[in-house]
Amino acid sequence: MDASTDRRPKGPGRPATAPPVARTTLQLRQAATSARRHSRPDPDKNPLREGLRLEQVPDPCAFVLFGATGDLAHRKVIPAIYQLWRTNLLPAEFSLVAVARRPYTNESFAAEIRASLEKYSRVQPIDEAAWAELAKRIVYHQLDFADDAAFDSLGTRLDELDKECGTAGNRLFYLATQPSQVTEIVRQMGRVGLDHEMRGGGWRRLVVEKPFGRDFESARLLNHEVNKVFRESQVYRIDHYLGKETVRNLLVFRFGNGIFEPVWNRSYVDHVQITVGESIGVEGRGAFYEETGASRDILQNHLLQLMTLVAMEPPSSFQADALRDQKLAVLRAICTPTPDEIKHEIVRGQYGPGWVEGEPVPGYRQEPEVDPESETETFVAGRFTIDDWRWSGVPFYLRAGKRLPKRATEIAIQFKEVPLRLFRDSAGDPAPNVLAMRIQPDEGIMLRFAAKVPGLGLDVRAVNMDFAYDTSFVVDSPDAYETLILDALLGDASLFTRADEVEAAWSVVTPIINAWAEQPAPHFPDYAAGSWGPETADQLIERDGRRWRRI
Amino acid sequence: MAQDLNGPRPVAHSIPEVEGQLSNLWARAAVVRAQAADAHARLVAAQAEAAARAAAALAASQETSDAGGHHVAARTSVLNLVVMAGDADTADACALTIAATAGRHASRSLVLTEVDPEGPSGLDARIEALALTTSAGKAETGAEMIYVTAHGETGSHLASIIVPLLVHDLPVALWWPADPPFETHRAERLLPLADRLIVDGSAWSGCGLGMLGQLAAVAEQRNLVVMDWALLRQSRWREALASVYDLPDLRPHLGAVRRIEVEYAATKAGDPDGDTNVVRPLYHVAWLASRLGMTVVSPLRRLDTGTRTAMLRQSGHEVEVVLMPAVSKLPDGSTVRVEITSRLRGAELIGTVAASDRSVDVVILDNGRERVRRSYAAPRLKDADLLGRAVEEGAADPVSVHALSTAGRLLGVESAAHKAVGC
Repeated sequence: MDASTDRRPKGPGRPATAPPVARTTLQLRQAATSARRHSRPDPDKNPLREGLRLEQVPDPCAFVLFGATGDLAHRKVIPAIYQLWRTNLLPAEFSLVAVARRPYTNESFAAEIRASLEKYSRVQPIDEAAWAELAKRIVYHQLDFADDAAFDSLGTRLDELDKECGTAGNRLFYLATQPSQVTEIVRQMGRVGLDHEMRGGGWRRLVVEKPFGRDFESARLLNHEVNKVFRESQVYRIDHYLGKETVRNLLVFRFGNGIFEPVWNRSYVDHVQITVGESIGVEGRGAFYEETGASRDILQNHLLQLMTLVAMEPPSSFQADALRDQKLAVLRAICTPTPDEIKHEIVRGQYGPGWVEGEPVPGYRQEPEVDPESETETFVAGRFTIDDWRWSGVPFYLRAGKRLPKRATEIAIQFKEVPLRLFRDSAGDPAPNVLAMRIQPDEGIMLRFAAKVPGLGLDVRAVNMDFAYDTSFVVDSPDAYETLILDALLGDASLFTRADEVEAAWSVVTPIINAWAEQPAPHFPDYAAGSWGPETADQLIERDGRRWRRI
Repeated sequence: MAQDLNGPRPVAHSIPEVEGQLSNLWARAAVVRAQAADAHARLVAAQAEAAARAAAALAASQETSDAGGHHVAARTSVLNLVVMAGDADTADACALTIAATAGRHASRSLVLTEVDPEGPSGLDARIEALALTTSAGKAETGAEMIYVTAHGETGSHLASIIVPLLVHDLPVALWWPADPPFETHRAERLLPLADRLIVDGSAWSGCGLGMLGQLAAVAEQRNLVVMDWALLRQSRWREALASVYDLPDLRPHLGAVRRIEVEYAATKAGDPDGDTNVVRPLYHVAWLASRLGMTVVSPLRRLDTGTRTAMLRQSGHEVEVVLMPAVSKLPDGSTVRVEITSRLRGAELIGTVAASDRSVDVVILDNGRERVRRSYAAPRLKDADLLGRAVEEGAADPVSVHALSTAGRLLGVESAAHKAVGC
């Protein structure tokens, strides 16, 4: 696919009228002239920022990381902070306050972070000068989440840092902890007053990692507990999928191109398939997975979030709430499956032993920390519909699973067949058009259409027009955590999930989980590791005369 | 990784020959790659993942084969880059820069040189096909480099060579590494072919101001997107300076600037001949003036001391501009220091920015007392980075457009018809 869009005809032999481009240099010059005549610097904006990588930079702030010694902090959060720091995207008045139970000094914790960066930073080698500056800003605070006094002293320490580091009372609290600890930490923060924003500056924000509850009721309770302390506008629920470059591109693709919107509806779309496939198993997190399963781990958040981005109406602006209102409208329009529909249109599966990528792998029940009789699903597939004018009658087939043949996340829009087959004598029927958006790996977009095979006959074959991120933009994409942490620091909640979105997603998934709990024990395992899930998943879609895409 | 897939370099002597050689090259490139994939598959058969990847690559290459078994390699559709190298040495240097941009470079690069203008007419061409992978396991893409040497009068008709060799329906970037001959017949013929013009104002001969004025006029007249490396190079200065004025209590000072002083490197004290290139120092002023809503009261003029001055106006008060030469170890014309003085409600703020190879340093004095001292890790951009940025930028960048337009006004170019001041 041609990645360029800025070709403007000019000169002899070219059309006299230029196609509409974003802004021509002429328009820009006219704007400049006008600006010179009328401009008066806006005291709230930095005019020198225009045209730079960030037109706004985060305010001075303290980044308070709870669970700083944990796996998530070391693998994702801290490397993202380092990367933002290294590329000058964080303010100089910044401090990283690491909070955890284990005893460390500032120096010993910084040394541990340094070792983690050697392992997990996506850019190597570590930039010594940048690291030295960041290391100066790392403060370790030992704290047991149930210890009132430790929270009191955290508040005092943060006040001191405001004076020492100029962090101006702005604090971002990032909870990279066990989900069960969230409520207690938030309660303690409320008790100490860490949520209180100050007049004339001093914002407080809370970033919470998924899972946001384990069903509708628990999610509502969690939201209630969090909102007892923090206002909803202060809460940033992070689903790292939404920070992926290709997911963000989905919005640009849909709303930055005029040609797709007219066909993006029930009149032209036959069905939509969304796949989130993982080739890995539970990777030593058997105990966690036993409590979640594919429906809680992937369906309730990643799959439904991708579905909302595909199905949402164009927002009136790219303000966080305008975007999230539209996503919420989709979630609320998804038909909640009845018990009978759950039986026929939602499939669960669990992998048994098999071969993945040429290696023998154990079945789920043989994984460490997993019950040998476990009924936890490692695969889920379903047929969902959306009751609105745009999508009524268009099935959305969603599937996600572990130990599938490959790691692949893809959204495929399959368009309707042509109304009349003109090329009946062709050796093969032209396949319907497909627009596939590859989220990972090989990020890109593919459009399949029919073409005549060269020769004297009139054979028709499907060909792919492929846009690959790799070959069109040969620059490193930021990690999703870098994007999302920077957004949270800037106060942009567009890519974070709002409480009502979470609850609406749970209201779709909870009836499924409840129905399964009441049904007889499934015949698990029902698919071999390295296959595309149980046969029932194929039957689910084949009943409609369709089949899963071969990814 | 760039892999040269052709064997002995073909030499063509006409446009149809060049086109023919290009087709042959890609067909042969595909065979080489298919064989490599096959060998790779056999070699790593024990490692299923790698074998699967190799097999997929092989299958993909077979799938897109034509009846003759030849593979038409995928090419990234980015843009045509036309390099007006002029002489062989410049062509080699440009080719190295293009190669150093690895996968970022254009789909097709035409590097044009001219020899023996009084001799017999004709052209020679050689072609390189490159298969590029940015990292292991990533998709390959193809790109082409066509080196054309025009002899005799052919050198005066380069447009007739360029047009047939452009990849259809892709933007055209025209890179003029040396002094662009803006007011010549050649420019008249070549500039209409381009969607964007890549120049390096800091490499122009003399003080560069006459040419900068012409560039501003040409950009305005032709509605041309200009990528001037001299301006791109300053992005790290701009980031550092902007970061300091992000501090809320310093920001109001941006509306109360009284003086902008830029010190630049010159070999001789006072730059007595006035021939040190001052495009970069002027761009600092132009960028600040355009961002801060300043208008030009009196254009730039050179004093006997070698200093250049101008007067701007911002919200009812005047802003003095000074470009001052300073003996320095830095290459001539490099910016040594930018100083911004502002006065607001009795407080004088002086912001000073200086840069080294690896960093940019900013110091803010508030009524003579040091208020902020920061060092930003921001290495100086290399030529490959600059070219990469210049070809990757999609549309007109408003900041560059305004800065160039303001630079033109500082040089007395009020419209395309006006001539700019000289050195």
